[in-house]
Amino acid sequence: FLGAGGGNDIQWCFSQVKGAVDDDVAEADIISTVEFNHSGELLATGDKGGRVVIFQQEQENKTQSHSRGEYNVYSTFQSHEPEFDYLKSLEIEEKINKIRWLPQKNAAQFLLSTNDKTIKLWKISERDKRPEGYNLKEEDGRYRDPTTVTTLRVPVFRPMDLMVEASPRRIFANAHTYHINSISINSDYETYLSADDLRINLWHLEITDRSFNIVDIKPANMEELTEVITAAEFHPNSCNTFVYSSSKGTIRLCDMRASALCDRHSKLFEEPEDPSNRSFFSEIISSISDVKFSHSGRYMMTRDYLSVKIWDLNMENRPVETYQVHEYLRSKLCSLYENDCIFDKFECCWNGSDRQVEIFSIIVMTGSYNNFFRMFDRNTKRDITLEASRENNKPRTVLKPRKVCASGKRKKDEISVDSLDFNKKILHTAWHPKENIIAVATTNNLYIFQDKMN
Amino acid sequence: MLGKGGKRKFDEHEDGLEGKVVSPTDGPSKVSYTLQRQTIFNISLMKLYNHRPLTEPSLQKTVLINNMLRRIQEELKQEGSLRPVFVTASQPADPLSDNFREAQPAFSHLASQPLLPTDFVSTTPLESCLTPASLLEDDTFCTSPTVQHDGPTKSPPPALQPVKDSFSSALDEIEELCPAPTSAEAVAAETAADDSKDHPSESNVQKPEGLPESRTAESKLMDSLPGNFEITTSTGFLTDLTLDDILFADIDTSMYDFDPCTSATGAASKMAPVSADELLKTLAPYSSQPVTPNQPFKMDLTELDHIMEVLVGS
Repeated sequence: FLGAGGGNDIQWCFSQVKGAVDDDVAEADIISTVEFNHSGELLATGDKGGRVVIFQQEQENKTQSHSRGEYNVYSTFQSHEPEFDYLKSLEIEEKINKIRWLPQKNAAQFLLSTNDKTIKLWKISERDKRPEGYNLKEEDGRYRDPTTVTTLRVPVFRPMDLMVEASPRRIFANAHTYHINSISINSDYETYLSADDLRINLWHLEITDRSFNIVDIKPANMEELTEVITAAEFHPNSCNTFVYSSSKGTIRLCDMRASALCDRHSKLFEEPEDPSNRSFFSEIISSISDVKFSHSGRYMMTRDYLSVKIWDLNMENRPVETYQVHEYLRSKLCSLYENDCIFDKFECCWNGSDRQVEIFSIIVMTGSYNNFFRMFDRNTKRDITLEASRENNKPRTVLKPRKVCASGKRKKDEISVDSLDFNKKILHTAWHPKENIIAVATTNNLYIFQDKMN
Repeated sequence: MLGKGGKRKFDEHEDGLEGKVVSPTDGPSKVSYTLQRQTIFNISLMKLYNHRPLTEPSLQKTVLINNMLRRIQEELKQEGSLRPVFVTASQPADPLSDNFREAQPAFSHLASQPLLPTDFVSTTPLESCLTPASLLEDDTFCTSPTVQHDGPTKSPPPALQPVKDSFSSALDEIEELCPAPTSAEAVAAETAADDSKDHPSESNVQKPEGLPESRTAESKLMDSLPGNFEITTSTGFLTDLTLDDILFADIDTSMYDFDPCTSATGAASKMAPVSADELLKTLAPYSSQPVTPNQPFKMDLTELDHIMEVLVGS
């Protein structure tokens, strides 16, 4: 794995951790999504309680050149509330499944957040001035008696303490029978898609009472259902192209120009099963939990239970690279099936786009158990395992690589598979679009790591 | 038929078993594969039936579990025609037979086996270390070390046998048409659903007496379920399996919750509870889940508690 020093190897240091310190995790605090905005200045998290917390990076302090700005809370708001579906007599969870930022067009920031059923467009705006000197109103808002007004004045803006307001601008509801797992904004920045287990809908950001169904895999007879949609994403450059992944380990690329309903794919990406690895759980572990295009749009990355695969869009029959995230779990699949861990949905992400272009370095990151997360460097073919933990993490101290001992004699500092804590899972990670700053979410804490600047 | 080796998956140490003759009947490898398959089957059923969410369960999870069950059913169907092979597990020549005799007194203690369904209903806190089913993956036939349990589960009784042995003993018992159920079983049997009426042509196993439930009542119950999720396994699923009838009779349906608010049961509403019942019975005839009023054949709860206390020795 990656050793210290040498070439372009990144040395990751602990920077910050956000969230409650105590081990007793409040269910509402469980982080369910993490996303940087397009500039990297803002970092949003969504949690199981339906809240969105946005952190803002401090402007770089010229005197403190050894570290980049810290992230501090910028805005907190309740995005979704629990609802009750009266027809089915079931609760609709307020948990935020995904957040996606829109590119900034004016002073305000916009993001889409979604729970299982409803997508909302939020406007986050700053207010640091307020008008003072009204003629008809007192400063506290009470109306003055018009007969007492003897002179007129022009109200002026006076500075005030910064206030960040979040207001819902659009609510896109009632379009999904099943649970929404993905939202993705098109490169035209006017439309976006939302995907649930069986359908994908196309929306216009301005129109909330109508959406177009572009993929429908619901069978006429639900008893024949054997496959569901697990993730979907628009191509970063090609506004007519999107992909969606399935629980059977396939990815379909669709072109919206081909037909209104993209039930027939343009490309089908699937790797044939390795017969030597076949087991009862082959299908379940092949289910894709996340799909992400590379910034160039030439590649895409998929995450299944045990591995990360990088696909070239021009080659459908197999991935160009496969990275094993925690192969030592392969012999434990029955237990992991029993305790439901096998259904955990790990996400994955690419390193920042600027980095990819500048120095042609492409690194992918994904989470694992025991609060471990993994990075794979495409160019050096090396990988590293790091841990997000409050212990042994001092600012600007390089993180120590971790190693899991699969079998045999355990070396010092290695951790054996049977000691892994399967309650501590890192499902959500995000990489700053321009810098080597990463956000890693444990169950209820958000860790921020930076590379060591010299 | 013996070429099942290619489909098996144990940890890598097991690769060497393929092609190796470990006994005249190649019994253990075949049986362990069967046992693992059976365990997975039972776990899958319990995931579908025991889940009582306030929110809709994940469709993806339901579909994957259903696919697992269907695949196993297909295998069982294919093997159904080769049923005689199954009985090798109980023959005296089989190395497991010693375990069978040992395990038989513990047959009535199945409820306290690690695979008690309440143990891995989703409300159970995730264990930090691996759960007992890993015993199967180690593929050891000897009695296992004590099982690890965190959280509220009770400690297993001293007579705890590894999961495998209880299955083997279950196979053995039913093969011999064990005529003397324990008191606990008799109680459970009395209130179990009458599934013989589902397959009048197939049930050639001794059914317990005093089954009050009629098929029509049961089907009415199932038909009235709203099926929240729409997804239902095919009506042919798990039916017409003579194998299941013979191996796993007298299943207590108290495992099931037919609360219409849970889509999981909606999912299974069309699934003939016959075989599911039967299998669950071998594992854990007792459930501490509350009884729904329209489920007339549930066990008496106080009786259940009493039995549990006796078994667990608390």
